[in-house]
Amino acid sequence: MAFIKKQAQPSTEQTQSTPETRDCQSLLKQLSSNDSTERRWAARDLVECPECANALMQRLKIETENSVREVILTTLTRMGDPVAIAGMVDCLRSEDAALRNEVVEAMKQLPLEVAPMMLGLLADPDPDVRIFAVNVLESLCHPEVESWLISVITYDAHVNVCATAVDLLGEVGTSNAIEPLEQLKARFNAEPYIQFAADLALRRINEI
Amino acid sequence: MKRILIVDDAATVRMYHRNILESAGYSVDEAMNGIEAIEKALQEAFDLYIVDVNMPKLDGYGFLRELRGENISQVPAIMVSTEAAENDQTAAYRAGANGYLVKPVKPVQLLTHVRLLIGETI
Repeated sequence: MAFIKKQAQPSTEQTQSTPETRDCQSLLKQLSSNDSTERRWAARDLVECPECANALMQRLKIETENSVREVILTTLTRMGDPVAIAGMVDCLRSEDAALRNEVVEAMKQLPLEVAPMMLGLLADPDPDVRIFAVNVLESLCHPEVESWLISVITYDAHVNVCATAVDLLGEVGTSNAIEPLEQLKARFNAEPYIQFAADLALRRINEI
Repeated sequence: MKRILIVDDAATVRMYHRNILESAGYSVDEAMNGIEAIEKALQEAFDLYIVDVNMPKLDGYGFLRELRGENISQVPAIMVSTEAAENDQTAAYRAGANGYLVKPVKPVQLLTHVRLLIGETI
């Protein structure tokens, strides 16, 4: 049964690619090929062409083949330059749920590169982008994570942004989060989920 | 006892839904993403699925498409999302959802939908 698509197999493909056509311009052309295998090879090899980050982002937005999308995101993650990061942030606004989730997972692999943009993402006018930003914080391992989360639950007006931040505070929060969590409970006193999640976070913090 | 699978990557959300459902007399199992949920659906029968949209590895839409498309299960599914827009709800129903709830879900909302879709008295 083929209900779950197989992952790309770069190690096997490595032996099949054709080095003589691996210059950046050729790869860009192959990135638009009708053959998904050719697109996948091109996406992999474009890691040597950082000036092509924008082209990869544009391809990612229209690419329908999961294995090619995975390779494009891996390449962009390995590039890790400002154009690649900005492109990934742009994808957080996509209507495509799968793409958004893939980008969140890719951004989690780039703590140093993503951290400087985090304040901007957490202040984005779109609450969905703020939720995805909190999701990225989950594995960011940055010293400011707790203070960013406390700021979210103190100032963000959107209940689901706060709810996502509370979930994470339950894992990374310290005694600094106790008072803000109590204030959050008072601010959303008619939301059973916030009461449940904040109580859970408070219990975990008090157990530390 | 009716058996429900909660599919959500957020542990707190799974615990919250589990508390509500078990208090109402349902048996509950959990999955952290769509792939784990497919594996569970292949191994045992559930009476209802409660599925988050945004999850790593395989999101809620993907899970429902596989569930319905591969004929793994046709039992009812409630999609749960932070997105309230009409097009998000339409996408959920197109993927195979039978109900749609916007987070944060209140206990009465959840139980009303569950009972309705399982065919119990509300």
